[in-house]
Amino acid sequence: MALKLFTRKARGAIAMLPGRPAVRTSPSGRPVSGEYQPAERQALEAEPVQRLYQQHRFGVLVTERHRWAEDEEGRNVCGLAERRLEEEMALVPAGSVSMPTTLEDLPGSPEIDVEVGPFLLAIHTVTNECYQQFVDAGCYDELALWPEAIWPHLIELHDLTGTPGPRYWMDSRHDQRLADHPVVGVSWYEAVAYAKWVGLRLPTEAEWQMAASWRIKSEADVFRRLPWGDAMDYQRCNVWGTGRGAVAPVNAFPSGAAPNGVQQLIGNVWEWTASDFEVSDAKGRVVIGEMPMRSVRGGAYDTYFDTQATASFRTGQILLARAHNTGFRCALNV
Amino acid sequence: MASAPSAQTSTIDCLICGTQNPYEALLCGGCSAPMALIHESVAQQREPRIISIVGESNVGKTVYLGFLLDMLTRRAGDFDAVPKGAYSVNLQQNVITHLSARVFPPKTPMEPDQWYWAYYQVCRKSGSDAWVDLVMPDMAGEALSTEVEVPQTFSVIRNLLGKTEAAIVLVDAALASAGSSRPDFFALKLMTYLDDMFAKRRRQRVKHPIAVVLCKADYCPQCFDDPRGFARTNLNRLWNICENRFENVAFFASSVVGSLGFATGADENVVPVPLHGAPRGVLEPFQWILDQM
Repeated sequence: MALKLFTRKARGAIAMLPGRPAVRTSPSGRPVSGEYQPAERQALEAEPVQRLYQQHRFGVLVTERHRWAEDEEGRNVCGLAERRLEEEMALVPAGSVSMPTTLEDLPGSPEIDVEVGPFLLAIHTVTNECYQQFVDAGCYDELALWPEAIWPHLIELHDLTGTPGPRYWMDSRHDQRLADHPVVGVSWYEAVAYAKWVGLRLPTEAEWQMAASWRIKSEADVFRRLPWGDAMDYQRCNVWGTGRGAVAPVNAFPSGAAPNGVQQLIGNVWEWTASDFEVSDAKGRVVIGEMPMRSVRGGAYDTYFDTQATASFRTGQILLARAHNTGFRCALNV
Repeated sequence: MASAPSAQTSTIDCLICGTQNPYEALLCGGCSAPMALIHESVAQQREPRIISIVGESNVGKTVYLGFLLDMLTRRAGDFDAVPKGAYSVNLQQNVITHLSARVFPPKTPMEPDQWYWAYYQVCRKSGSDAWVDLVMPDMAGEALSTEVEVPQTFSVIRNLLGKTEAAIVLVDAALASAGSSRPDFFALKLMTYLDDMFAKRRRQRVKHPIAVVLCKADYCPQCFDDPRGFARTNLNRLWNICENRFENVAFFASSVVGSLGFATGADENVVPVPLHGAPRGVLEPFQWILDQM
């Protein structure tokens, strides 16, 4: 793919400042002030290729462009989709990461070194507005998107009103005031299904750490604890110490971006990864969950300890957890 | 208020239990409260207000209180707080040090002389600039349980609750949501004890503010959506006694651990591991209590 994806320029249509007033959310994730304001349903394009574009399924249009090779309009739409991917994803170069293998994340703790090839990573986490397309398309009933093991549980993946959607939505609609906020209250399965639907995938844990620590192959062998350097800075991310106390729009805190422009790797919401959560404690005992766990990375707006919002901090969530502070971003092979 | 030391005898009365102690004593001979707390109270020339945090063993009193105090000193929400004396900082330091290392702090010992006591001056950043002196002890759950079952066993608890202006009652929502009746029964016993302590007359309902906090609510997210509804359904005995005997009760949901793992080894012991900290609903009960006091 001929994408111009490596840039130091800040991206995103609107530069959000950390001081922008937050839409206050309750601990359950719902806006505190006023009535729930459901987003309006969007009329869909009749033409399938146009509809794919409208639904932000750019990954499908680019990776399956051969389907429209004979169709001029289809080729044009695929070209547009490629440009959108260029805008919305950034290249993470090849490198290596050292991941702690125990709960301790201190210098000298046991680590495993993992080589990571180049890949594309979304600049922002998936927003409520984007995820709405997935819900509106009836994907919760589209069994092909979900692993067979989860089929019996699909009926439990509903919102506050019992209709399909993330945990904190109502009547399968997001609150329109939170359209540009990360979608939260989604299980790992929902994250994977969405990524598959748009033609992308979740990053592995090592890929996520590579993007956040920026340990690219170079003589300098730089390793960053945080995308912007080594010291916590509350102006650059949304964690408990920032004092915001709520999820922020996906393009807030632009100064905390990684060198390639990927934003909010630290703070705002934990991010699901594709990897199993596998660590042991200081005594070598394997740490497991009540159910199988997947790795989540980066910390969230309510992460209390700064040491738990770093590039290398490893933690996990059970697969079916639909937490108020966990979202995801997508990746794509180069 | 604790009386000023007498020049002739160099003694000082404990503000919790009233025991007369030598001025140079480190702990009260009657209730084991740190004498530094009594000295501080005398220096302030005003009696501190006591908020008690009570609940069953293993419900998470130490973790809740440690997080609350740490958040207050980090100026969370609308609060500013100053610990009075190093002994007051020990509890929050213990909790924060352990949890940031992903280990739960050790259980509070039964012996009152080993309990943590916290004496804080707290004020709201907005509105009134008046500082309130608050004493919040971290009682052992087993000791509290024993005192509730057999009153007068732990006089320190009885004296303390006798002076308490408001209580934060912690209940294990995770156990309750799993169908166990134990949290409901313990809370019921505790509320009858508090009723006995607080009610001025039998026919009157208790006026002390009581914040019922449904702990470990990350296990049952519906707690956060509707704590009252959760209590009414899953802690019905507690709910009923609150309605019958307590005039000023509010229900809250709280959790401090974002994700819980379990370390399992060859010895087959299973050790819970707090994988990351994500406190929710910790400040709200305290804020409500202060509003009511």
